[in-house]
Amino acid sequence: MARSPYVVERGSAQHRVLQLVGFALVGLVVVRAGLTWDNAGLGKLTDVFIIAIAVTGLNLLVGFTGQISIGHSAFFGIGAYTTAILVDTYEWSPGWTFLPAVAVCFVVGVVVGVPALRLKGLYLALVTLALGVAFPNLLNRYTSITGGPLGIKSVRYLPPDWTPFDGRKDTAKWLFWLSLVLLIVVALVTSNLLRSRIGRAMVAVRDNETAAAVMGVNLAVVKTVVFGISAAMAGLAGSLFTLKLTLADPTLFTLVLSIEFLVAMVIGGIASTWGPVIGALVFVYLRDNAKSFGEDQGIDGIGGVAFGALLIVVMFVASGGLVGLARRLKAKVLRVLPRVPSAPAPPGATV
Amino acid sequence: MLAFATDLFIQRTFDGLAKGSIYALLALALVVVFRGSGQLNFAQGEMALFCAFFAQTLTLSGLPVVLAIVAAALSGFVMGAGVERFLIRPIEKKSPIAVVVVAVGLFLGLNNLVAVIWGVDARRMPSPFPNEADDFIRIGGAAVRLERLGIIAVLLLLVALLWLMFNRTRIGLAMRAVANNQPSSQLVGIRVGRVLAIGWGLAGAIGAIGASLLAPQAGLSGAMMFGPFIFAAAAATVGGLDSPVGAVVAGLALGLIDAYIVGYLTWIGGDLVLPVTFGIILAVLVLKPSGLLGSVRVERV
Amino acid sequence: MLTVEGLRAGYGPVEVLHGLDFTVGDGEIVVILGANGAGKTTTIRAVSGTVARRGTVLFEGRDIASASPDAVVRAGVAQVPQGRGTFTDLSVEDNLMAGAYVRSGPVKDDLDRWYSTFPILAERRHQKAGSLSGGEQQMLAIARAFMSRPRLLLCDEPSLGLAPLITQDLFRVLQTLNRDLGTAILLVEQNANLALRIAQRAHVLETGSIVISGDAAQLADDDAVKAAYLGM
Repeated sequence: MARSPYVVERGSAQHRVLQLVGFALVGLVVVRAGLTWDNAGLGKLTDVFIIAIAVTGLNLLVGFTGQISIGHSAFFGIGAYTTAILVDTYEWSPGWTFLPAVAVCFVVGVVVGVPALRLKGLYLALVTLALGVAFPNLLNRYTSITGGPLGIKSVRYLPPDWTPFDGRKDTAKWLFWLSLVLLIVVALVTSNLLRSRIGRAMVAVRDNETAAAVMGVNLAVVKTVVFGISAAMAGLAGSLFTLKLTLADPTLFTLVLSIEFLVAMVIGGIASTWGPVIGALVFVYLRDNAKSFGEDQGIDGIGGVAFGALLIVVMFVASGGLVGLARRLKAKVLRVLPRVPSAPAPPGATV
Repeated sequence: MLAFATDLFIQRTFDGLAKGSIYALLALALVVVFRGSGQLNFAQGEMALFCAFFAQTLTLSGLPVVLAIVAAALSGFVMGAGVERFLIRPIEKKSPIAVVVVAVGLFLGLNNLVAVIWGVDARRMPSPFPNEADDFIRIGGAAVRLERLGIIAVLLLLVALLWLMFNRTRIGLAMRAVANNQPSSQLVGIRVGRVLAIGWGLAGAIGAIGASLLAPQAGLSGAMMFGPFIFAAAAATVGGLDSPVGAVVAGLALGLIDAYIVGYLTWIGGDLVLPVTFGIILAVLVLKPSGLLGSVRVERV
Repeated sequence: MLTVEGLRAGYGPVEVLHGLDFTVGDGEIVVILGANGAGKTTTIRAVSGTVARRGTVLFEGRDIASASPDAVVRAGVAQVPQGRGTFTDLSVEDNLMAGAYVRSGPVKDDLDRWYSTFPILAERRHQKAGSLSGGEQQMLAIARAFMSRPRLLLCDEPSLGLAPLITQDLFRVLQTLNRDLGTAILLVEQNANLALRIAQRAHVLETGSIVISGDAAQLADDDAVKAAYLGM
């Protein structure tokens, strides 16, 4: 016999307690990992955080404006190369490169977004596809800036003095915590965006453009800004990525990477805040195990076929991703009801 | 000096037209699908690639090239119809993004399947046209390869066949009806699902032919269709996604632009052709969003 | 020739028709009236198979309740949809040819007949259907439906969006065709006045259920019915 779900009201004390408990559990697991795991394990989790940041950006775009990008590898790469060039050629301190990387990506995103305003999502997918395909070519071409096919090496981010970390051996730990913090920041920014006026406008745009326009939502601005932010997040992830890898070269930023982001997003669950994180986690795990099938890098060969099939299967079976599945399971156990507003007194009635 | 420039120009023009014919074929495939299903098949290039590899394999066992290409076209038809029936139709109802995701999955899966089945080394695809060093004719002093002329001829032939099919056959009428108004098509007894599948199948066949004709000059490899697909999609978009004429015209135009840029503006290297061409396309679309020959759709709230 | 019993139909989880019973006899014109949202279009769609439905729908003795739309057309039922539903990008002639899609024999005779019944269509035979006026498109939609030589015609609010004079013409045409060809007509309409004049029997539909049934002439004369349901 099915037990009836435990019911709480959204925003009530019970609800808050449950949420806190949930966060605390996750937090404990992550912190414990950060404190006890070895560098290799931390490196894996850092990969997850980095991908999660990029996918959060992609998710923002796809989940909330209904438009798709197959070229986020380019923004990831722009962020990565911005950091790499600033650190290697201009000897910037790595921590300062995040800002320009994010800014450049935002600008490029806006530039790409502007023409997208006039056309439907189809066009954006096409342009971003072209971006994803063309980006490695551009990197190879402008050797003087990007180091061409050989790329840029020795992009190191040693832990700054104000951290408890010490020198090269603690770099992995430093990057772990840095990525985690940045992921949390990005996630908070995303969820605040959603709840803001702009956020609700975005959902409106996704569901019915004409209605949104009638409502006075400035579609042009919304779409452009969202694409810019989405690109900026991918760029931030790219910066972290190159610092972790200590190098940047064109083979790392191909169209396949864009599709990998898409896979992670779909597995996790489109249009949910936790989706990107869960998706990144599962994706990294799957990818690293697929490698043991004898492929060199990325997801070639059988791995590629499997991931392609996975994308299709997930769309058929669980289009809401793992988060969607989790929600359905949770609904059997816990139901969160919207808060019932107290009814206003009818006019003229005596209380 | 002038004579020299002219025959180079003629040569580049035919090169461009031949390349453009491939883009036009692929763009046509995309338009056929779009008119029926309202979707852009992002996996069209990889589907075509798979069929081209299949054709090449057949030639290895001694089958004449022309027959191999016909076989590829048939397999393209089956693949296209199968994809529509089993992958796209069930997913369409969920959300518009779902179809794109499935197409991307197909893109990734097929591209890697090619690598799994046929390895990662490039292969040589024989041409159905005479393709030796001395197989050219002289036009206005330029040496125009027979192969180029052959590809252009195939385009013209296919366009003519398609026109006949769409305008003079029952199934063509059904496809035009479905493209215009699906509910009314149902009401006159047209099996919409079957018509859509046939449309995708047709697109698959056309794409397979295009890829098979491209392979001899481009080299049959896993990445062969990335650039051409983007050009074809751009051509289809610029031409107006629901206009077959627009797709062909835009495809040929893009081929010419590609050839002229590579030939005359050598400071724009091969890898920049794509971004530059795309810039041109961007400009066109910003000025006329429905494409050059497409119909502006007024969507009712 | 058409017997409907316990017809339920809806869109997704929402049920719009809650068990309808009605019939259409050979060569009869039956009208279903009702206000907006009553479920008139859904009723037509339930018969033609373009909406999910449950219940019994017998046409000439055969159960078409689970038939696909194209099977329904092949069985001899044709629909003139709401808003004309012409193939706007196709020529007038192509529209008519599409109407004959399920027929296997030659259709030239049918084309000739409909061109002479509606001369304006003959005049415009190569023009795109979308360039025709509302009334002309309605004629085209009717002719197109008749191209499949149906024995039952389903008409969904034919007067919608048409000027009064055109509407009168339209109903006259329907009546004439019914008399000359013997094709039965099931008509759903908001415009009760004209519809009742050409029909033999009528029903009134209110939020998915039939609330009144009877002779068309009687309903037309019944003042109480007219006031309460037909806004006359």
